[in-house]
Amino acid sequence: MSSESSKKRKPKVIRSDGAPAEGKRNRSDTEQEGKYYSEEAEVDLRDPGRDYELYKYTCQELQRLMAEIQDLKSRGGKDAAVEIEDRRIQSCVHFMTLKKLNRLAHIRLKKGRDQTHEAKQKVDAYHLQLQNLLYEVMHLQKEITKCLEFKSKHEEIDLVSLEEFYKEAPPDISKAEVTMGDPHQQTLARLDWELEQRKRLAEKYRECLSNKEKILKEIEVKKEYLSSLQPRLNSIMQASLPVQEYLFMPFDQAHKQYETARHLPPPLYVLFVQTTAYGQACDKTLSVAIEGSVDEAKALFKPPEDSQDDESDSDAEEEQTTKRRRPTLGVQLDDKRKEMLKRHPLSVMLDLKCKDDSVLHLTFYYLMNLNIMTVKAKVTTATELITPISAGDLLSPDSVLSCLYPGDHGKKTPNPANQYQFDKVGILTLRDYVLDLGHPYLWVQKLGGLHFPKEQPQHTVIADHSLSASHMETTMKLLKTRVQSRLALHKQFASLEHGIVPVTSDCQYLFPAKVVSRLVKWVTIAHEDYTELHFTKDIVEAGLAGDTNLYYMALVERGTAKLQAAVVLNPGYSSIPPIFQLCLNWKGEKTNNNDDNIRAMESEVNVCYKELCGPQPSHQLLTNQLQRLCVLLDVYLETESHDDSVEGPKEFPQEKMCLRLFRGPSRMKPFKYNHPQGFFSHR
Amino acid sequence: MERAMPQAVPLGQMEVFQALQRLHMIIFSQNVSPCGKFLAAGNNYGQIAIFSLSAALSSEAKEESKKPMVTFQAHDGPVYSMVSTDRHLLSAGDGEVKAWLWAEILKKGCKELWRRQPPYRTSLEVPEINALLLVPKENSLILAGGDCQLHTMDLETGTFTRALWGHTDYIHCLALRERSPEVLSGGEDGAVRLWDLRTAKEVQTIEVYKHEECSRPHNGRWIGCLATDSDWMVCGGGPALTLWHLRSSTPTTIFPMRAPQKHVTFYQDLILSAGQGRCVNQWQLSGELKAQVPGSSPGLLSLSLNQQPAAPECKVGSARGSGDPGRPGCVDRSVTTLLPLGPDSRRQQLQGGCLYQSGLPSFLPVLLTSSNTPTSISGV
Repeated sequence: MSSESSKKRKPKVIRSDGAPAEGKRNRSDTEQEGKYYSEEAEVDLRDPGRDYELYKYTCQELQRLMAEIQDLKSRGGKDAAVEIEDRRIQSCVHFMTLKKLNRLAHIRLKKGRDQTHEAKQKVDAYHLQLQNLLYEVMHLQKEITKCLEFKSKHEEIDLVSLEEFYKEAPPDISKAEVTMGDPHQQTLARLDWELEQRKRLAEKYRECLSNKEKILKEIEVKKEYLSSLQPRLNSIMQASLPVQEYLFMPFDQAHKQYETARHLPPPLYVLFVQTTAYGQACDKTLSVAIEGSVDEAKALFKPPEDSQDDESDSDAEEEQTTKRRRPTLGVQLDDKRKEMLKRHPLSVMLDLKCKDDSVLHLTFYYLMNLNIMTVKAKVTTATELITPISAGDLLSPDSVLSCLYPGDHGKKTPNPANQYQFDKVGILTLRDYVLDLGHPYLWVQKLGGLHFPKEQPQHTVIADHSLSASHMETTMKLLKTRVQSRLALHKQFASLEHGIVPVTSDCQYLFPAKVVSRLVKWVTIAHEDYTELHFTKDIVEAGLAGDTNLYYMALVERGTAKLQAAVVLNPGYSSIPPIFQLCLNWKGEKTNNNDDNIRAMESEVNVCYKELCGPQPSHQLLTNQLQRLCVLLDVYLETESHDDSVEGPKEFPQEKMCLRLFRGPSRMKPFKYNHPQGFFSHR
Repeated sequence: MERAMPQAVPLGQMEVFQALQRLHMIIFSQNVSPCGKFLAAGNNYGQIAIFSLSAALSSEAKEESKKPMVTFQAHDGPVYSMVSTDRHLLSAGDGEVKAWLWAEILKKGCKELWRRQPPYRTSLEVPEINALLLVPKENSLILAGGDCQLHTMDLETGTFTRALWGHTDYIHCLALRERSPEVLSGGEDGAVRLWDLRTAKEVQTIEVYKHEECSRPHNGRWIGCLATDSDWMVCGGGPALTLWHLRSSTPTTIFPMRAPQKHVTFYQDLILSAGQGRCVNQWQLSGELKAQVPGSSPGLLSLSLNQQPAAPECKVGSARGSGDPGRPGCVDRSVTTLLPLGPDSRRQQLQGGCLYQSGLPSFLPVLLTSSNTPTSISGV
């Protein structure tokens, strides 16, 4: 109860304390009396400093009262109780004040706290705002740096240089007065110019593209046209074949030949290619053809290994069974020989046309197992030849090409390896088969590019183009010369057989106009017969009478004098002269052994033959030599010293004009004829 | 003789021509060098080849040593005659005489020392020189040949001093009478003339063909060879080989040889002759045929004696002249004959060998003997 009462009273006390407070309290009392009593509002009105003074005063008062009470109690007396009571009351009032002050202090604290909190909140809000602003600043700064660092694309563009720009750009773009001072404007203007130019170039590019397109289209069209042409041409070719045949223009044939040539064995191929090439380049009269069956050649080409195996197998087999099959051995050998000498089914035909329309046909074969080439020759002439008996061998296929090069008689195989092969099958020499197979002349091997070393046998011989080419020209020329000289000889023989020495007009100057001695006989003789003659010993012993030569016997007569002349005709006529050996039957037999003048006559025709060659290519040599022989016989007979003891006139009166009859220790007669004076002198 | 069949040798144009040239070669003249060790031979192509006798005759002679050691082109025409002085080789043929130094020839430097041409009357043909003769006493050379005269040339000055006329046809041969300075000449006209060199006059003429004993009209009158030995003279040719006594101009011996002789020489008391036919004949003065030495050649044009004492190992050298060609590539070395030589009639073997060169400058077979008898000869 007391507390409630003190509460009620307390504001009263407060009101009563201080006049201003009383006045305010009065007002607020009146104001708040209707609503509520608010100490909080009182706090605002009171000064804390004065409250603190009041608190200090109250506390001093209390202390003093307490001390007085104590003092009064300690003294104890009757009056003391009243006194004490009084003091107690006073103390209670003070307590009341203290309580009030305490409440106020609490309210004030609370109020302070609130205020602080409020202020703090405000500060926080400001802080937040600050943060935001700072962030914004930072962002903006970033943006700025970004902008500053921004790289414009235009920097990558290669602009034309400044001078060029001002020179070339039109003034409405360059705007020199503006841009000179302002690099920005300048750059812009340059960029503008660049753009302008690029636009133009782009325009051009488009134009070019369209152009290209157009051209492509044209090409397409033309291609189509061309491809459509091929079948048409083919059809024209097809249609022209009969015309080609009719006009002898073998274009197509040549083409076919090249096709066929692919099946030729290497040596024949080399020969074919080289002769064709030579024919085209140097000699239009040369024609080359391939003969034989292509199919066979193809068949041959396919199983080369098989056949070899078979052979070796059969060899082994044969060895085992030889004894048992002895009766058939001969047949077997025959077969093996045939096999060894087998020709390639294809052959190359070569036609050499000479000036006088005579043709030399050469057929080249390849013997596969012997790896050599052979040739068969045939001569055809434009006009039918009446073959003199003595000319039989001249154009015969067997001898016409003999010794084209010295010693190349074509009867032995040029491949040293062949001999071993022959030994196996019992062939002694190729000579017996040459008529059948053709002649394996060395030059043929060379034309085919086959080179055989003389010393050791070499089994791998490769067809070589360069070898063939290097021999082509000389060989072709030799072949032509050979045919021409043979034909010339042929003609001469025809006359000689009838006792006419056919001196041509351009050789007439070599001889005096009057020649009395006459050729009466011209016959061919055998090599053996020649060597048997008693006056040919020297020639035989000198090795000049080989069996590849042709041999003839001529008989020159004048009156009772008969002059026999044995003639060696080298196949290399006319570069190698015919060789004469003489035997005179007149007043005894005279040969070079017993008469120096006969020897001199021989040397006149044999050694001094170069004077008798006549115009190149000296095919008339033989005729001239024979005519010369007639002249020599005339001189010999007419200058023979007359035997005084014999009665009657000389048989041969001297008609030739001679400076001297004899000269020198050997008493030579004047055999040398001097044109045009027409006298005879000594050499 | 056996006929060997030579293998058919493949021959080209060049080889054939060379073989033919070889076949028709004639050796006209030969001469032994002053030292006696070398032999010079001249052929119808105008070449002179030098053979080494000592090498070819030595016991170990190979084929190679029988070929000429030097060959050179001396004249345009045939080399008809050669003689040797102490240092020089003189050769003549086609109108000119040329001198070569032996020393240089042997060193293979073959350049002519000099050349002379006798004064010819102009003619269509240059007359040949058939014979050369050295006259040692006068140091002169006598040339004779186609122009029917004997020309005397002074070897010291090289001038032609005299010309001797008389022959009516060309002169074949010359011979010197050693004791009296007289020269004999024989010619195509059939006369042997004796000339006195001091007076340059013809002293004597012997017209051989007019003597019936030796005349052989079918062979002609020509005198092809001549040799003299003081009062004696032997000559042959168309007429038979005859020994003459000069002072009486009478034939004393007629040698029975049918073939015309082309060379004759006195050798000691023998006479050697050669000509048509394969043999060298040895005659006694009485006319007996003492021996015949066959050679390889069908006819001989010259004989040559090697009398040089300095080279005893090659006493006899004789080469042959005409005719037979050598055989290419083969050497005939058969021992052929026994040749009686010398007064003691000692028989002596004669080795016949063909020297042969198979190249272009080939020469004829030379028959050589190696003997040690004092002097010997042979001709092939």
